[in-house]
Amino acid sequence: MGKLLWEAIHRSSTGRIMTEEKFETEFFPTILEDVRKKHQIEWNPDEPVMTDPGMADAVFQAGLEYLLETGLYCKDTRRIIQFTKEEILEAVATARRRITLGSGREAITLAPRAPGDEQHPYTWFPAGALTKKVELYKSHAMAAMQEPTCDGVIPIPLLGIGELKNVLDTPAQTVVCQAEARAMNEAAAWAGKPGLFLGIPMSATTPLAMMSTFGPGMYNKENCTLPIQILQDMRVNYDRFNLAFFADQHGIEPWMSSSPALYGYLTGPEQGAIEIIAHTLGMLAYSGGSLTQAMCMSIHGTYVGNDISWCNSAAALAAERNLGLPWVSFGSTGTPGSAFSDEAWYETALACINACISGMEALWLAGGSTGIECRWAGEVARAAARLTPEEGVEIIKKIRAIEYEPTPSPLPLEKLYDMTTLQPRQEIVDQYRKFTRIFRDLGLDYPTWHDA
Amino acid sequence: MATIADLRQKVSETQPKPAEAVTRELLAEGFDPIEILEEGVMSGLNDVGNRFAAKKAIVLDLVRAGVTAKTCIPLIEEALPRGETPKNKKKVVLGTLLSQHNIGKNLVGTLLSIGGFEVVDMGEKNAPWDFYETAEKSGADMIAVSVVFAPALEKFSELLGLLEETDVRTKYPVIVGGGVTTQKWATEQGADGWGAQAKDGVDLARSILGIGS
Repeated sequence: MGKLLWEAIHRSSTGRIMTEEKFETEFFPTILEDVRKKHQIEWNPDEPVMTDPGMADAVFQAGLEYLLETGLYCKDTRRIIQFTKEEILEAVATARRRITLGSGREAITLAPRAPGDEQHPYTWFPAGALTKKVELYKSHAMAAMQEPTCDGVIPIPLLGIGELKNVLDTPAQTVVCQAEARAMNEAAAWAGKPGLFLGIPMSATTPLAMMSTFGPGMYNKENCTLPIQILQDMRVNYDRFNLAFFADQHGIEPWMSSSPALYGYLTGPEQGAIEIIAHTLGMLAYSGGSLTQAMCMSIHGTYVGNDISWCNSAAALAAERNLGLPWVSFGSTGTPGSAFSDEAWYETALACINACISGMEALWLAGGSTGIECRWAGEVARAAARLTPEEGVEIIKKIRAIEYEPTPSPLPLEKLYDMTTLQPRQEIVDQYRKFTRIFRDLGLDYPTWHDA
Repeated sequence: MATIADLRQKVSETQPKPAEAVTRELLAEGFDPIEILEEGVMSGLNDVGNRFAAKKAIVLDLVRAGVTAKTCIPLIEEALPRGETPKNKKKVVLGTLLSQHNIGKNLVGTLLSIGGFEVVDMGEKNAPWDFYETAEKSGADMIAVSVVFAPALEKFSELLGLLEETDVRTKYPVIVGGGVTTQKWATEQGADGWGAQAKDGVDLARSILGIGS
């Protein structure tokens, strides 16, 4: 956080006033398309990844110009907060490029990595499940955390504690989120990783609940971050500023997050990548953060496809070359009950390879709904770390040419794992082995895959 | 000489001023206002909706098509002989449950308005009670709910429970849609209808409230 937070607050009451309808139907779409055309940013639908350094620099320039011209729309005051080029460039110049998350033996330091670097992107696994049964929730977390390739986790929202529901805008939500924190800490201790990075408070949906969750200290500045994410399409509200200020006051790392929806108000992945850069620069200004989670999705409800992976790679490469911030993207497909979904296993691998060759530092929610799927994501990220962009694209194109089998119905954890030992049952191990063989044939390798 | 096909094209291309000009010309030439509305405006809107379903248009195109249609509709309404207004007198309370997302909700509102419904738009970040209170105060015929993030799923069930508890569940059919919802989930909750796309909202409202299209 720096002087630009105070400037943002000031300008939110003095900037140009505009209806939100005009902002979203005329103002920002026109500017965005103009900068896209000016910088000749084009996506070829046959290309799943953007590897061109020149275009990456163009995406960055377009994103910078888009932010400077559009500004951030403050939903509370209906005014536009604008920054000068000098202010943004100073925020970029003074940004922190290395951050440490977690503590003790589990501490990880995210530092800039270029495509093909030996250092693999860190993999943060989904931990927990959408349930009110805290013990089951914890078992899911333990199954993920016990995996050797678990570099951290992102909790799944806890829906309640038994009969106590996760009720928005009440202390129940804070208590449920604190139960999430307790379960994460206990699972990490069980897994022998007490200093593990535990992501963000996911069971809390309001700023008050998120901030209150930090009260008892189970989530703290060593093991957790605080989301200060920008709202869709260049919008902010005062909640963002309060969260950024709270993070700063407590020494908590802000979790900067940009998740544009393609085909909503954005025409495609080119505009998505430009907007991610503009969002990041905007968040950098008002939060002084560093850690950036950036991913797009389609308004049609998917997280996979050439458009999605191209957008994520274009933004990541633009950031790697021009910002050097710790960059995190989505490491799975969001498929419910993904254990026996071939699409989920392939697309998880694809996301990991994309991260490696696009210069990303980490993947969040890497893997699927079980620990062994998380293992898969962690291993692929390590196996693919040194791939050149050309090698990575070749594998990704081979994956995309595959016609996936239909996804079967989801199975609960107890059907997939022995709940006493928390070890995967043979059927899911066989699924894992199948994919280790497929990916060895595609040219990747990892030490444990040799038993396949 | 303008044709209804020209109007359909202008709406489909989301060009408000040319669409308005063509509408005026058609009315001046004596075309049937109902035909202008249905074959020109609504068909143009459907074209954009179909392009969106085929992933060849974006939500912004749908919104702009709605804006285009709204420039034409008042002119058409003025030209309708008294008693033939296409308004169906049915009132729909519409809002987003909990979250601040409004793209889908706005779109449903636009299409419902164009479809002849009176829309009471509650905006975003609504609690279950807000829906109940607004429906009661406005004399609504139906409640339409946008659910776009996971925590709102449970709130939807709370809304249906609240309507039961206040003895108005049968008075207000409830339809739902949004990114995190599915037909299966909506059926399990006891919703009266679920829509995958914005245009489904109009079809559901017509069907449930017994209005011919």
